[in-house]
Amino acid sequence: MPVFAESHKKGNSSLVYLNNAATSWPKPREVISEVERCLDQPFAEAGRSAFCSAIDYPAATRELLAEFFHTKNPDHWVFTGNATESLNILIHGFAHREPARFHVVTTDLEHNSVLRPLYSLEQEKRLSYTIVHSGPDGHVDPEDILRAVRPDTRLVVMNHGSNVLGTVQDIQKVGQYLADKDIFFVVDGSQTAGLVPVDLSRISLDAYVFTGHKALFGMPGTGGFYISDAGRVAITRQGGTGSDSRNLTHPVKMPERFEAGTPNYTGIASLYAGIRFIKRTGLDVISAHNNKVTKYFTRELAGHRNIILYSASPDLPVIPFNIRGIPPDDVGYILSRAYGIITRTGLHCAPLIHERIDGGTGCIRLSPGYFTTLDECRESVLAIYEVADSADS
Amino acid sequence: MKEYILDEPLTPEFIVFLNKFGTVRSFQHLRRPYFSFEKERFISVKGFVGENTVEVRYRKEFVDLTPDFFHLLLYYSNKGPSGMATLKGIENEIGRKMDARQGITESRQ
Repeated sequence: MPVFAESHKKGNSSLVYLNNAATSWPKPREVISEVERCLDQPFAEAGRSAFCSAIDYPAATRELLAEFFHTKNPDHWVFTGNATESLNILIHGFAHREPARFHVVTTDLEHNSVLRPLYSLEQEKRLSYTIVHSGPDGHVDPEDILRAVRPDTRLVVMNHGSNVLGTVQDIQKVGQYLADKDIFFVVDGSQTAGLVPVDLSRISLDAYVFTGHKALFGMPGTGGFYISDAGRVAITRQGGTGSDSRNLTHPVKMPERFEAGTPNYTGIASLYAGIRFIKRTGLDVISAHNNKVTKYFTRELAGHRNIILYSASPDLPVIPFNIRGIPPDDVGYILSRAYGIITRTGLHCAPLIHERIDGGTGCIRLSPGYFTTLDECRESVLAIYEVADSADS
Repeated sequence: MKEYILDEPLTPEFIVFLNKFGTVRSFQHLRRPYFSFEKERFISVKGFVGENTVEVRYRKEFVDLTPDFFHLLLYYSNKGPSGMATLKGIENEIGRKMDARQGITESRQ
């Protein structure tokens, strides 16, 4: 059970925050302190400033990311504003380099940050795509990905963890299937980075996308990606990099190739501290706590006649459900205003999977986190039961 | 979206009045009796009967036509049948402006 330092009580003790799959909260005390430290001194901008601080946050965080995800070259970790921006850079940048129309394989679990770029490029007749459907348990069969591959398939994009069902996909197996093909394999790790061990030295992929503000405990506005062969993705943004400024051609070396403009120093500082917090705490400890609270929710919610649970045993702390007869937005409002329980309702930007599980109406998503206590879980279940009881009274 | 703090708590009679202007969903058996109101193109409302805070959402494309609609609902709800008729007239007038903006020639009732 996580222990709060006295100085790290949640700001509003009456609030139960179950929206960590959107943005984690509260942030560890050391994240807040690191941001404060970063803001408290002039920014040490590599190549842009004469000032040297104790920490070059972008460089130090790249090193941390490389170590945390087991990659060799820290410079192949690129910072962006979020996972959506990362996916756009990768998808559009890859498409830009392709000389002819090509085929893409993706899944019905994807977020709009994948679906919308693909749809947009399909409308421009730059590509066509096949949606591979997940099974009834919310897992994608890696062989289904392989079966969807055609001679003109050049790109596979899929998420590692579903933000709706909380299921984790076997990307290692998919990577093995694709390894001997000339297919660029992009994994969206937004929901898994910081929650499950990801060893990129053992997974055959071309790009791995992460976001900083979820389980890595950073601030909103942080994210990025790892890319093994940067030359496969065209540069779609040019600008100042603090290097080779006389040259009007944007640098091709990493990480400048994909980073133009002033970095989000404070955000990267928060990410730096967030990853250090995970390393210090232990991913296994965080994972064990999340499993415990997730199992508590699924076990309890499955027992109510008016509750429809869409993922009976999620791999991640993501619990999607509806209450019969009450629209999810109404349930979300009631939980928030009457009980102080913060959830996320609606389509969670993943319309295809909602079409299958709830007919596209959306659902309520509980996403506890490392700082969610069992008492808060019990309190939340009682509140949800009270609302569910009223559905047929 | 706006959150209003009202001078008086929302009453069951007001919820009945709302029913004449849109779709009301009401869950009276909750610890705090909840209701929601939806009037297509105009506004949606969420709140608890007996409390004096309420959340009102406006449609962005018509927000200039409906900024006072919730307050009009409150005002005319205790004016009896004449209040109902007056507000229906206002509602129709706003609806016609919305139709015109959307290029709809026949007015909606």
